[in-house]
Amino acid sequence: MKRNLRFFFALFFAKGTALVLKLIGRKGTSMPGSWAIILCPDFLGRMPRPKTVVGITGTNGKTTVANMVEDVLSHCGYDFVCNRSGTNVNTGVASSLIANSTFFGKPKKDLAIFELDERSSPKILPYLKPDLLLCTNIFRDSYKRNAHMEFIVDILQQYIPESTRLVLNADDLLCASLKPQNHRSFFGIDRQPGETAQCRNIVQDIRVCPNCGAALSWEFIRYHHIGRASCPQCGFCSPQAGYRVTQIDADENTMTVDCHGHQQKFPMLNSSTINIYNSLSAIALLSQFGLSTEKIAASMEKLSISETRYKEEEVDGKKVILHLAKGQNPIACSRAFENIRDYPGKKAVILFLDDYFDAAHSVENISWYYDTDFEFLNNPDIPQIIAAGARHWDVCLRLLMAGIPPEKISHTAENHQAAELLSKEGIDAVFILYDVYTIGLANQVKDQTKALLSGGKSAGEQQRA
Amino acid sequence: MAIKIEILFPEFCNLFGDMSNMLYLQRCLPQGEFVKTPFSEEPLFLRERPSLVYLGPMTERTQEKVIEKLRPYKERLWQLIEEGVCFLFTGNALEVLGEYIETEEGKRLPALALFQLHAKRDMMHRHNSTFLGRLGQEEVMGFKSQFTMAFAPPDYHPFLEVVKGVGLHEKCKTEGIRYKNFVGTYLLGPVLILNPCLTKLLLTQMGLPQAELAFASEIESAYRQRLKDFHAKT
Repeated sequence: MKRNLRFFFALFFAKGTALVLKLIGRKGTSMPGSWAIILCPDFLGRMPRPKTVVGITGTNGKTTVANMVEDVLSHCGYDFVCNRSGTNVNTGVASSLIANSTFFGKPKKDLAIFELDERSSPKILPYLKPDLLLCTNIFRDSYKRNAHMEFIVDILQQYIPESTRLVLNADDLLCASLKPQNHRSFFGIDRQPGETAQCRNIVQDIRVCPNCGAALSWEFIRYHHIGRASCPQCGFCSPQAGYRVTQIDADENTMTVDCHGHQQKFPMLNSSTINIYNSLSAIALLSQFGLSTEKIAASMEKLSISETRYKEEEVDGKKVILHLAKGQNPIACSRAFENIRDYPGKKAVILFLDDYFDAAHSVENISWYYDTDFEFLNNPDIPQIIAAGARHWDVCLRLLMAGIPPEKISHTAENHQAAELLSKEGIDAVFILYDVYTIGLANQVKDQTKALLSGGKSAGEQQRA
Repeated sequence: MAIKIEILFPEFCNLFGDMSNMLYLQRCLPQGEFVKTPFSEEPLFLRERPSLVYLGPMTERTQEKVIEKLRPYKERLWQLIEEGVCFLFTGNALEVLGEYIETEEGKRLPALALFQLHAKRDMMHRHNSTFLGRLGQEEVMGFKSQFTMAFAPPDYHPFLEVVKGVGLHEKCKTEGIRYKNFVGTYLLGPVLILNPCLTKLLLTQMGLPQAELAFASEIESAYRQRLKDFHAKT
């Protein structure tokens, strides 16, 4: 698309907005991009793009993977534009491009790394035309925004350009089905001990062959529809992965990846399966970008998970763990619940599951609770579960439906009273689960929890005494 | 009396935690038999007269397949509805029994035409809302998340009167269809868990007015709290 008067007006207005925001000390907003798109709806198509554009999309893990990819590239000396401090929708991408452009919009840097919201694909992909695009996975997400997985697959199929090289999850048949005519590379994790063909989750969004509709035969199901399957009727099967985790060493915190026949050890952020997928997808993307596996492995030594997503602290020999559990995302929460179940020792769990925005002005659609595997919390090693927030009665009901004995459940409408319901007796760790927008609240409750674990008595304990 | 509940195509028609309705009924009716009919099999209602037939929401492509799957059985379905068998269809499952679904391109996909209702799809504008309605003296609440709006003639058989939110379409003051013991509603997710009065109604229609609600005290407290918020915040 050619740049016209309207484009330049939008660009200058957006740059002016960015300057004002900078002067008043506001960073990382998508306001300049919002104005640019309001004034010139096809702004992204008219804005000159950097020579190489790499995109990272998918339902879960895209922020973690984008951060990893950016950190490795920075460590390897690459200079690039990214939307790390902004948003992953069209206005965030536009803001990043505007901030990194000359007065007339020419890109200052030749490389762009963008985390891209999959739902916003129609507004981004046809304009940005990424050279390389990673899709981490496709799952159910917010019912409001993403509707259902078929809708998301359809918009990705429609809007991913034919020229884009794809890096896809071979263990996710929805993701692996994207754009069969494009150049595609796949990553996957070999079958691990204990993995069977039984699905242990409520949600399994692919059950029949996408070609002929026959019931799939599963070699193994890791979780939900993640696993390897084939069709006994037409021969359709999960693709072979060029990047395969062949061995996981949890003690050494390393994983061995077969990269097209070359074996390479990589450090792991931690041994949870989702983080192994995150690291693996970053490795596959960076390798397809052109970095050697040795260089990627060396750079990954310096990485850690963002503390806004997972943070462990210790008080008097007990752990206090902040764990992100994205609200209205049944899969992300189910993964978090499974992580808690598998964490060693006796655990108490504090749940802040309310949607921050809905709780303030409306009533949240709580249907997603019933797609979420609360059943993982029904475990003898989890003696206490505390639910706090506007929908605490609904969470309590969901916990009861999961078969959790009522005596293990406490709940309150007041978020700040959650820690007071905690009993420190007989527990080794306290998990605090929070949504992206409630990190401040989670930190406050973490401090209250630490104070309790280090000697104080909670209101609940005082009452019991 | 023997209770047999048929759940149609649960492997596909379960997009928004809807199967929780049946799990909750199982808690209320531990003696009941719950039969899951997969898409590849013949429905139970062809050979038997179940106490309840349930169908949940589905994707648009699945909806077209479900219509074709049920088309040969439309007379039987109507016979059972007329005979007073209980049905609960939630979300866009109701459209399967309507006259047609109109796509964005203006194409009409013929449905089973058991009810005078048609739906219009708009895939780029998803409708999300909270809903509060009245069923006699009771208040029923729920959530809508859909790509369609439905239209019916003025003399159709509505299920709920709109108190807050959107009915069959944005200007319609009624929601869903209730005809004899058939209940179809665009409300999705755990409608029976959200509305103990609705579960009671269903159990009564099934001939079990004395059946106890599972977690009765908690479900009532959750309902009261949510109702308060629906009145105050929506």
